[in-house]
Amino acid sequence: MSFTLQPGETLGIAGESGSGKSSVARALVQLTRPTGGTVSLGGAPVTNLKGQRLKRFRRRMQMVYQDPYDSLDPRMSVSDAIGEALSVRGLPKTEHAAQVAQLLERVKLPATIAQRHPNQLSGGQRQRVSIARALAVNPEIIICDEAVAALDVSIRAQVLNLLKDIQHDTGVGYLFISHDLSTLRFMADHVAIMYVGRIVEYGTSEEVFSNPQHPYTRALIAAVPSVTRRGERRLKLSGEPPDPGNPPSGCPFHPRCPEAVETCRTERPELLTIGDAQKVACHVVQWGREKTPKTEVTA
Amino acid sequence: MPTDHVELALLNDAVVVVDNLSVAFPSRSGSGEVIRSISFSVKAGQRVGLVGESGSGKSLTARAIMQLIPAPGKISAGEIHVGDDLTLATVASAKKWRGTSVAMITQDPLSSLNPLVRIGVQICEMLRHHRNASRADARRRAVELLNAVGIPNPKRTMRQFPSVLSGGMRQRVALAIAISCNPRLLIADEPTTALDVTIQAQVLDLLEKMSQEHNSAVLLISHDLGVVANFCEEILVMYSGKIVESGPTQDILDGPLHPYTRALLTSVPSMTEELPARLSSIAGSPPAGGVDVVGCAFAPRCSLAQAICSEINPELRQLDDPFHDVACHAAGDALWPSVRSQ
Repeated sequence: MSFTLQPGETLGIAGESGSGKSSVARALVQLTRPTGGTVSLGGAPVTNLKGQRLKRFRRRMQMVYQDPYDSLDPRMSVSDAIGEALSVRGLPKTEHAAQVAQLLERVKLPATIAQRHPNQLSGGQRQRVSIARALAVNPEIIICDEAVAALDVSIRAQVLNLLKDIQHDTGVGYLFISHDLSTLRFMADHVAIMYVGRIVEYGTSEEVFSNPQHPYTRALIAAVPSVTRRGERRLKLSGEPPDPGNPPSGCPFHPRCPEAVETCRTERPELLTIGDAQKVACHVVQWGREKTPKTEVTA
Repeated sequence: MPTDHVELALLNDAVVVVDNLSVAFPSRSGSGEVIRSISFSVKAGQRVGLVGESGSGKSLTARAIMQLIPAPGKISAGEIHVGDDLTLATVASAKKWRGTSVAMITQDPLSSLNPLVRIGVQICEMLRHHRNASRADARRRAVELLNAVGIPNPKRTMRQFPSVLSGGMRQRVALAIAISCNPRLLIADEPTTALDVTIQAQVLDLLEKMSQEHNSAVLLISHDLGVVANFCEEILVMYSGKIVESGPTQDILDGPLHPYTRALLTSVPSMTEELPARLSSIAGSPPAGGVDVVGCAFAPRCSLAQAICSEINPELRQLDDPFHDVACHAAGDALWPSVRSQ
């Protein structure tokens, strides 16, 4: 798979469990080595970095995870946790307190929280602390891997607004990974829909959500329970996503696809451009665009 | 002795009546009330949704009905009646109706299925124990049940252990066990929270089909208003251990009366409508459970709060619609800017 992220932009990655969303994140920050392909940041390749250069690179790309309980050391106070990141940036200890206060203000937490430990914070506060910690090294990109999934809706809205404000002020780019399409619709400029390790549809948020092309994207959007679309008849998918270690032949979606034809079983569709930025990996959609009814031949 | 309330509910075909229920986890620092005097009933075949954030007491309500409150928690006031005859629910009587006339499925079936026992055995166990079925009958019925919940190869699944199944399949098995004795009430506590959306849609469809076929009432507990809105005929909104609004789904979606309900509706980004630059959010976070609250528990986060809100606890009351209740001083009050028009 290939994609680019512009400065100050948010790319949303959606997909079900096992679609490879989190593996993308881990490969980007070089926590897992990609088996092929390259990752570049600011034009320079960052794959296969080692030692000091890898450390320097990781300062430029930060991650915020779903559960800050896993990423915050329970024995470290908030100011120590953020201070650790400040040390990585090379800031002398004497300036830490002032910076910590500034970062806490940035994520709209009271300064009094600095001496507390993670277990004394609410879920929303913990997630704000991990955002502050990520911001401490002035990254160019923050990867948010299901960063709001564990939060209650009223708290989630606060954190999403905060992330948008931070992006507006600092120009940080987000790679926003989520299974929640309504959150992505709000956050992302561009969206990539993943299925079993591949992007099946890509485009601007507007294109993908108001004019989804891939049958999987359409089913995924239709499956989101929404208060504004109550009682609508929905396109429903049967079956479950395949084992990512042993994907089906041809188009990996064909066993669940209501529109699959013979070719889908044997040939994997390429991700091809069909609109301004919109790309789709689906034989049926691509044939429809060419207006040559190949479907009749293969049906 | 059945109270008037319960007699009335019997006439109304209710299968569960929760009457002034309070649940407390007593501690040195206070009464520890986490559910504060809630009342509701669910009629046969009806689908009711209980919505709230974490700590609102929604799951504890389910456990209270099942008589499964973990110690040192206890039902500190009120009564629960279950089944067609609305028997008083007690820890002792629960042995007779738990699993038969009232069944429950939870968010993670891994915690309710025994990991060391084959699935077939776990289903047959229910039928043999509660229905006195013979071995052969139980097996036959188990295959039927697994078929009904859409397990592709029931005979193979019978021999498998829960750990080899996907989350969606496990939830189907849990549902098969729950409906095995034709429950009058099925409590579904966040049944689809751990599932992907396409699987969630399948499981909710199945739940609806099962409840219709068996005329079972469903109490669906969820933090997701979208799920509840699409599944339930009635909604109860809980906040900090109290029901703050209740009524038919359409009424609540069209004209939410409580500021909390309104905020819940607007803090989720829409999938279809134009999006605002910022989401409307509720400032602050819900109060910690078990802390004694004076006045309305939502007042510290409420943009409409007045002096009275932090002094007097608003009771659940009706405005002009006899089926739509709200616990808010501001709702429908001419002194406040109209809550509905906002």
